[in-house]
Amino acid sequence: MGLKQEKPLQGRVSVVCLNSPQHRHSRTQTRLSQPVDTASKALKALTSAAIVLPGLMLSSAQAADDGGRINFQFSRYQEGTRNLFGAPNNFDPIRADVLHGNGLFPLTDRAKFSFNYTQDTWSGATPITTSPLAANPYQLIRANTPSGTTVVGASPLIFPRGLLLDRDLNPLRNNSEGVLAQDTRSVLVLASASPETRHQANFGLGYEWDEAAINASAGFSLENDYRSSFGNLGGRLDFNQKLTTVKFGAGYTSSNISAILDHDASPYLTKTAFDRQIERRGGSEILHGERQDWSANLGLTQVLNKQALVDANFGYTHSQGFLENPYKAMTVIFVDPDILNNGQTTPVPGDVRALLEQRPGQRNQFAFNTKYIQHINLLDAALHLDYKFTADDWGIKTHTFDASWVQPLPFGWMFTPRIRYYSQDSASFYNPYLISQQNFSRQAFDSFGREVWVDSLNPATEYFRDANFNLVDGAGNPVNEATLLVEPKTVAFDPGLLPGNFSSDHRLAGFGALSGGFTLSRQFAKGIALEAGFEYYTRASGFKLGGGGGNGFADFDYYVANAALKLNLESMSPSNPLGITLHGHHRSHVKDDGSSDHHRHNQPAGLMYAHMLDKPGQFMVGYRFMYSRQDGRMHHGAHAVSDQTVVDQGCNDEILCRFTPTYMNMRMHMLDLMYAPTRWLNLMVMPTFMDMDMNLRELDGRPPRVPGVHEHTGIVGHSTGVIGDTLMAALLKLYQKRGHRLHASLGLSAPSGKTDIELRRIFQIDGGAIHFGMQLGSGTWDFVPSLTYTGEYDRWSWGAQVSGAKRMEKQNDSGYRLGDAFQATTWGGIDLSRWLSATVRGVYTVQDRIHGDFNTFNARIGPMDFPRNYGGEFWNIGVGVNVNIPGGRFVGNHLGFEWLQPVHTDVNGFQLSPKGALAASWSYTF
Amino acid sequence: MRLKRLFILGLTGIALLTLSACASVAAWERGYLAKPQMAIDPNPLQHHIQLHNYFSREAAASTHSADGGGGCGCY
Repeated sequence: MGLKQEKPLQGRVSVVCLNSPQHRHSRTQTRLSQPVDTASKALKALTSAAIVLPGLMLSSAQAADDGGRINFQFSRYQEGTRNLFGAPNNFDPIRADVLHGNGLFPLTDRAKFSFNYTQDTWSGATPITTSPLAANPYQLIRANTPSGTTVVGASPLIFPRGLLLDRDLNPLRNNSEGVLAQDTRSVLVLASASPETRHQANFGLGYEWDEAAINASAGFSLENDYRSSFGNLGGRLDFNQKLTTVKFGAGYTSSNISAILDHDASPYLTKTAFDRQIERRGGSEILHGERQDWSANLGLTQVLNKQALVDANFGYTHSQGFLENPYKAMTVIFVDPDILNNGQTTPVPGDVRALLEQRPGQRNQFAFNTKYIQHINLLDAALHLDYKFTADDWGIKTHTFDASWVQPLPFGWMFTPRIRYYSQDSASFYNPYLISQQNFSRQAFDSFGREVWVDSLNPATEYFRDANFNLVDGAGNPVNEATLLVEPKTVAFDPGLLPGNFSSDHRLAGFGALSGGFTLSRQFAKGIALEAGFEYYTRASGFKLGGGGGNGFADFDYYVANAALKLNLESMSPSNPLGITLHGHHRSHVKDDGSSDHHRHNQPAGLMYAHMLDKPGQFMVGYRFMYSRQDGRMHHGAHAVSDQTVVDQGCNDEILCRFTPTYMNMRMHMLDLMYAPTRWLNLMVMPTFMDMDMNLRELDGRPPRVPGVHEHTGIVGHSTGVIGDTLMAALLKLYQKRGHRLHASLGLSAPSGKTDIELRRIFQIDGGAIHFGMQLGSGTWDFVPSLTYTGEYDRWSWGAQVSGAKRMEKQNDSGYRLGDAFQATTWGGIDLSRWLSATVRGVYTVQDRIHGDFNTFNARIGPMDFPRNYGGEFWNIGVGVNVNIPGGRFVGNHLGFEWLQPVHTDVNGFQLSPKGALAASWSYTF
Repeated sequence: MRLKRLFILGLTGIALLTLSACASVAAWERGYLAKPQMAIDPNPLQHHIQLHNYFSREAAASTHSADGGGGCGCY
């Protein structure tokens, strides 16, 4: 599908002048993969081209496509380490793994349905505030090693003591000669985060007329601490024989913030400005806020000549509500004005405090961008030049210059190098830190100049001291001090003396950024394309337009790598357009020797390796989703047990259990790629992505806390994601006779999932490796064989499978190996209609306990941290349905759903009992 | 609202300029324009990721903010 076939198309793809980019892309691809030499095809192409419309780009980047499109993408964002100016940097930089899938399906010739799903899991250290370096905001972490005590890292302090300032309020620090000297450098104060996951889904509907289109979409984004729902409406109008297109859109987003403040930082944070928004629950402090965003955009695309076009867009966003980042604080250095103005020249002590940042309650943003696209005849390439200007009422103006060169190459390759420069001004309220000439808190005096004292249990009543320092009430009567808990009454700082808004979030600072990268894609036959991209980004205060931003301490870099599989359903003509289900009813397809060309694809959705492709050269692309949940009471063997039993027996002889899981959810996303080189052999690759979340509670009767030992605190759970192990398998047909088939699968599971995920360090206490069950893979190369028998007669189908997993290494890099597993299952199914079948099955699974143990620190706070509390025997009943689309627009698609209900469970050691699992699968054979 | 006026003026200016500058391109002369490399967004999947990263690392507004979503980007 190279360039040769593209030439004749020129001049024929006529009416598609101003189509949305995706649209043009796909239509051209479509033509590339299908002969267009017949008059009817050409007519059809012209007709459909005429109704094709641009502008769906407003709602979804991958929106428009006539015949349907499905994309899967994985990307990794990885930051470099931050500069801590000499403090030992044991902080993992931020990493985010993003899984993205989207699809567009034509409902009719003019109506389309689209969906987008994004899941990102991030972890690493993020700045919580900025501090003068002189305040020494890092405390060394020392560990005992055979060679003595060594420094293994540093923990952040947002409330460091002992800062001294000169009389001009410059921070002072001991220089290399040990002399106290002015040092105005700032440093980011980083705090680690355990992994967190966000899910976003949105759905859209679009309708197209000959010279207009309208589309609507709505969706939500869910995080533990941030929930948004949004909707938007957009459209497009074509004028001037489609040389001019006007695009418009409006959207609304409503967000609810419930930020669980860092349990360890919170006691040192000053939150008085948000007191009324903070809820205290289960040992956690939750900062609540709401925010609304309204946005509108208007754009114009204009064809300039045969080889150039320009696109311009204007956007306006109004935001109001809680616009703060709830996890960012501003360092404020309080200086006692009495000391500062005492006429001496000695250094002044600074009281370093961290206040939750305060941003304005609203923001109006304007954005304008224009893009010029020129075709370069010599190389058949396209040059894209883009400039964007934005401004807002926070004082931030930005400029972005972007250039890319899109170069088609032979054999369906496309290479796009790209370079980008960005510069922004600082927000008017950005400061690395603030200095305030007042005390953070001071002794309260009454109108007579007397020191005020209060009972800490009843602070409303004021007391005083008489001349003999005896406690008296307001009327001067003596009070029995022994019955009270008296303390001096203090007056907090006056917020009025601070700026109304302040933030030290470096994203609001003035800086510049330079980035560059490329995209490489290849179009294969049958509408499959692969894409890979890479970008390197470097942020530098000194890159700012018109001079440095003065915040080089916040400079960082990152790279992003992504890989995508793109399926154009229109081009993926099924080689068996009638679908496999038909063969259950149309025995004419059965050959003389009794073998049928195809067997039905109606095995239960939760079953793997049970389906084989029949025709050499056939492909199958599929997606499998699995969700499982454990919750309820803890079980020992087959029986529920009390908390006290778990405390005493759930861990080991030396350690009593302190915590127990309350629930655990696991979601798996698997990409199912299969190819049949011959009739008897299928090759399969299955990358797996997963995310898990778990919450813990304290056990009743647990032993008391010990200082310096890891404790799970507050109501925050843990989550992990996203790359799991990768399965590869060869499926071999062993026996086939009319209505009966036996095949074996020899699989290998590659350890692409991590087994060394750690809970974050909490100040001086190491979080250690997260529980075995929350790690993302086995960590070992595993042999995964299976043997499957399937049978069918008339409307009936049945089968049985045995499968296993054998770990081929003694232990993984983390020091343990999962137990071997064996599963036996048998099922029966019936075709309820031409396209729908139902299945029932029984499943027996046995898995051994974990062997070995973490070779790194593990906090061992509950049963989930002990290897013997894994595995067991599980009996499940599965009920499922399968949908095979036999014809029409969605021919070749298969959908399956199955619910697995536990009927009997006998766990090893102490575990939560499984509550069930849902499996869903989609596949497309072509 | 000086900025707003400026933007509207700019947009109108560009609109007029492009409209007046463009030649009439007949339907059968649009082959180049229909090529995938001439798409306004030739790599939408990667663009989607880039925008999300810029959104969580920079303070610029978007001209496609009507898309909604994006989450906190709090890290």
